[in-house]
Amino acid sequence: MGKKELKVAFLLALRSLQRGSRSSVILTVLIIGMCFTNMIFLPALFNGIGKSISQQVIDYEIGNVLVSPKSGDRYVYNVDATLDLINSMPGVERATPHFSKGATLKYRQRVLGATVRSISPNDEKLISPLYTKMIAGSYLGNDDVGEVIIGKPVAGDPTIKREDEFQPSLGGVRVGDSITIEYGNGYSKEYRVKGIYYTGWATSDSAVYVTRTDMALSQGKPLDYADSILIKTKPGYSEKFVKNELIQYGVTQKVQTTRDLLDKTMGRIMQSFAIMNMVSLVVSIVITTVVLFIIITIKTLSSRRQIGILKAIGVDREVIMHNYGFQVIILSILGIVLGLTLTMILSVYMQANPIVTPDWSASLYLTPMDLVSNSLILFAASVIAGYVPAYQVSREDIQSSMRS
Amino acid sequence: MIEITELRKIYRMGDVQVNALDGVTIEITKGEFLGIMGASGSGKTTLLHLLGLLDEPSFGRIVIEGTDLCNLTDFEKTMFRLYKFGYVFQDYALVPDLTVMENISLPAMLRKDRADQQILDDSHDILKKIGLFDRRNHLPRELSGGQQQRVSIARAMVNKPEILFADEPCANLDSENSRMVLDLFREINEEMAQTIVMVSHEPWHQEYFHRIIRLGDGKVISDGINGHGK
Repeated sequence: MGKKELKVAFLLALRSLQRGSRSSVILTVLIIGMCFTNMIFLPALFNGIGKSISQQVIDYEIGNVLVSPKSGDRYVYNVDATLDLINSMPGVERATPHFSKGATLKYRQRVLGATVRSISPNDEKLISPLYTKMIAGSYLGNDDVGEVIIGKPVAGDPTIKREDEFQPSLGGVRVGDSITIEYGNGYSKEYRVKGIYYTGWATSDSAVYVTRTDMALSQGKPLDYADSILIKTKPGYSEKFVKNELIQYGVTQKVQTTRDLLDKTMGRIMQSFAIMNMVSLVVSIVITTVVLFIIITIKTLSSRRQIGILKAIGVDREVIMHNYGFQVIILSILGIVLGLTLTMILSVYMQANPIVTPDWSASLYLTPMDLVSNSLILFAASVIAGYVPAYQVSREDIQSSMRS
Repeated sequence: MIEITELRKIYRMGDVQVNALDGVTIEITKGEFLGIMGASGSGKTTLLHLLGLLDEPSFGRIVIEGTDLCNLTDFEKTMFRLYKFGYVFQDYALVPDLTVMENISLPAMLRKDRADQQILDDSHDILKKIGLFDRRNHLPRELSGGQQQRVSIARAMVNKPEILFADEPCANLDSENSRMVLDLFREINEEMAQTIVMVSHEPWHQEYFHRIIRLGDGKVISDGINGHGK
């Protein structure tokens, strides 16, 4: 095939699309665009959910690297010394301890079971975006005593009756109100609500936060132990590097990276998502392939006489085949561009209006690689679907074509 | 120029064998305006298709200027049709999505020995010759039957073929347009010494032909000038 033949094939293809049935072209492009959007949308949504959950687990539960009690221990002991060691290590932005206790919250006539989490507020700021999620009042300070910040679902809404609540709450606590926290060891104390936050992460939102000083008071002893230590890595340092450093520096506790933990917790979810993604991908490709195959088959069958005439006047069968091939290429490129546009619009829309559930919130997660690979897959499927009938009809002898 | 020897075409339909062409031997000389006439089913279109490499003979030879067409590969036949032949069909057979200009220049665009400017010039010349230069940007559906057939002739002539084949080119035209088309053929034949092989069943067309071959049941029943058989 020379340049001239390709030029003629392209001219025939272009003119057929320009001057042929416009509704057929629009419909085909629409179908390819929709199939592309379908191919991208579900996987991007599942990835978005996965990413969102993972990010929220990182932000509010484990950080980049988690130090937890070694086998046989209940807590991480010598917290202050361990924190000093970790904070001095290369690649560590900041480390902060978490210690939680179950407690009963009381406000007026309402009683609610909740987890009380103790944090070092200033260090926590370097690890978690909790301080940015305040919807009323303010975040805790390092020296705060007798003050608490509570999740929006815990605070509740005074306009909603108890029986109508989605989940139990304190029935409408506001900033400045006092609530009583009764710990499992019998210690009870009145706290002033300093702020109300909403993170979108259920485990965090259904808890309340106090300072470690307050928690130490509730435990009746200095709090030199913790459930875990969360570590934020510096940009440019991998979690694995920091984990290895910790072990090398003699941290004897259990050290796990985000990946170690998420592979366990999220692995099965992501595996299920991957299966659904694959089904969605295959269905979209099959639909596109079949639709294009049918369209080009109809086109070629209804143009058999014209194909015969073209051959009769000296147009090579390769030119005829590439004519239909170019038509499919143009249609699939237009379809993919439409699909990309729709996907980007959906992505922008969902960034502004994420899917929110009581447990997590998520929007589309798209990478350029996803867009490129899906475009190429759909393009390849389209070209095959178009070229097969074009190849078949271009091989037909002139007499059979002209008689039809 | 063209030597046809013992040409046969046999169609098989189940157990039935039809001899569409039964041992035709003729010679066609350069510059001839040859009419192939005969009743419906006499084999005239079959003969034209075999000569024009649109179909393959069951037996026999077709030799054009020393080249035995039966020995050509598919690709060589395609190139032969492109470089040596021009075709005019009874239903005009224009590409509906191409303009008059694009239809005419299409075969020329595929030739390796034609530059873009030459294609443009040749197409314009021939459009002027058929009187449709002003309608060069129209689509075939915007033209009358007679105009479409003139475009079809222009397309066949753009590559300056050695032989122009016309398969009942006036079958879909009224007598006025038919005469216009036949006058155009005569003009091309006389001015350019163009060899034309035309199939027709209309008796009044024979006045245009130099020579007439009459077929009946796949055989040559007469061969001569205006019915004066050899």
